[in-house]
Amino acid sequence: MSEPLKVLIVEDEALLAMELESLIEEAGHRVVGWAMSSDEAKTMVDASAADIAFVDIHLSDGPTGLDVAEHIRRSGQPMVVFMTANPKRIPENFAGAVGVISKPYTMNGLMSALRYLQEGVRRPPPSSALPTGFTLSPAFATVWAPA
Amino acid sequence: MDGNRTRESPDAWHMTDDLHAEQGKGDPFAAAIRATRMSMIITDPRKPDNPIVFANDSFLRLTGYARDEIIGRNCRFLQGPETDAEAVAEVRAAVADGTDISIDLLNYRKDGSTFWNALYLSPVSNDKGELLFFFASQLDVSDRKLSERRIAADKERFEEAVKERTRELEAALETQTALLHEVDHRVKNNLQMISSLILMQSRTISDEAVKNSLTTMLERIEALSTVHRRLYQSKDVSKFDVSDFARDLVSDLLAASGRSQISSKLDLEPIVVPADKATPVALIVNELVTNALKHAFRDETMPGSIGVKMSQPDGHLIIEVSDDGAGMDGNAGDGTFGMRLIRQLGRQLHADVEWRNTSPGTQVVIKMPNGPQHEGDAP
Repeated sequence: MSEPLKVLIVEDEALLAMELESLIEEAGHRVVGWAMSSDEAKTMVDASAADIAFVDIHLSDGPTGLDVAEHIRRSGQPMVVFMTANPKRIPENFAGAVGVISKPYTMNGLMSALRYLQEGVRRPPPSSALPTGFTLSPAFATVWAPA
Repeated sequence: MDGNRTRESPDAWHMTDDLHAEQGKGDPFAAAIRATRMSMIITDPRKPDNPIVFANDSFLRLTGYARDEIIGRNCRFLQGPETDAEAVAEVRAAVADGTDISIDLLNYRKDGSTFWNALYLSPVSNDKGELLFFFASQLDVSDRKLSERRIAADKERFEEAVKERTRELEAALETQTALLHEVDHRVKNNLQMISSLILMQSRTISDEAVKNSLTTMLERIEALSTVHRRLYQSKDVSKFDVSDFARDLVSDLLAASGRSQISSKLDLEPIVVPADKATPVALIVNELVTNALKHAFRDETMPGSIGVKMSQPDGHLIIEVSDDGAGMDGNAGDGTFGMRLIRQLGRQLHADVEWRNTSPGTQVVIKMPNGPQHEGDAP
């Protein structure tokens, strides 16, 4: 098994963030931070050396998840995965993100996504099949899942 | 003959026009032009400023001028402030080029009132091609212009009204769409919260039976969540693709079970059901697949396979879920909640549910009516 992932959670619903944290740690990874607003998220991005950020589009200060993704794109790390109930809000270029996990996701779907992302981060491209409920951005699709 | 003379000696016209000269008196063509109800004038471009040299009575009646007020003048006195300058320029160009022109002009009478003049202007040349006169007729088309304008105004009003209504409807649709998205967003978030609550609770429980029960409950709620997610991800929220759902469900559950020795055999025609049947069908499929995984293969080391087949002969949807595991005797009995769920949902869908002992294993066949498939749904 390759090195566990350091994960940043950007989510304004405490319940969802809590449960997501449990699932991530159950899968053997580490949660390095939980941000509820875009400002918090940007600060944490700069302070932590996360591998993956799970970013909800709708945060406590509005639909600012895309700003967070843009900030992360400029700073060069970590990889962004959107987690949203409204995937249609994501722009064509995904603001540089890897892809999107559409809510409501299933526990199994999330576990498969974590496995897939771990492979993608540590030994790209991932060797597992693309998990259900996970949609890659066009840019990553060409590299991680060439047709 | 006089007619010939007229053409050969155009001055004769000139003489007849304003001077009532002897030659013109006997000329039937000149007499006709004098007497016609059509307003007509003749101008002489060889004279300075192309003056009117003849005007019939109709012209005088139409414009309100006396003959001696206009003979010798250029006819631009008919123009006024509202006359279209472009149209005047066109007439001027035709005169300069010696070509004919037909055009509508807003003209002014002596008393300042206006009328729409359908002007026809044509040059008259002699045999040598020398330009001698311009012949112009004026037809009062004010009535036609008025109705044209009314029609145009009506059309404009109508178009404006249509635009206004369209704007209203678009705004209403936008509001509706925003509302739908908001509700959809909340439903999805709530479903996710319900799952999270169950999972959190489940973590605190040590009793295996209770834990399993909660897990089964979570799987059912996740089946509902998946239906909702897929339905609102698709372009058409009125139809649900059960084959895609089954494919994802099986791979999801197998991957999660960590039972790599269990394989799946999928034989899925693309089949859609109406949205109102999506939830019961999805719950039944979920129940059958999880059942097979849990009960048929209780020995964690045994290899096995789960098959899901979906077909749609003659207006029916047939779902077959089979396993080669422990068989019905080992399964939970007829009285379990899962079984009851399948039977009740089956009734709701008017489905026949049949359990077959295939030793080894079990096969469950669900046959339900599923209206004619629409174009493009079939493979």
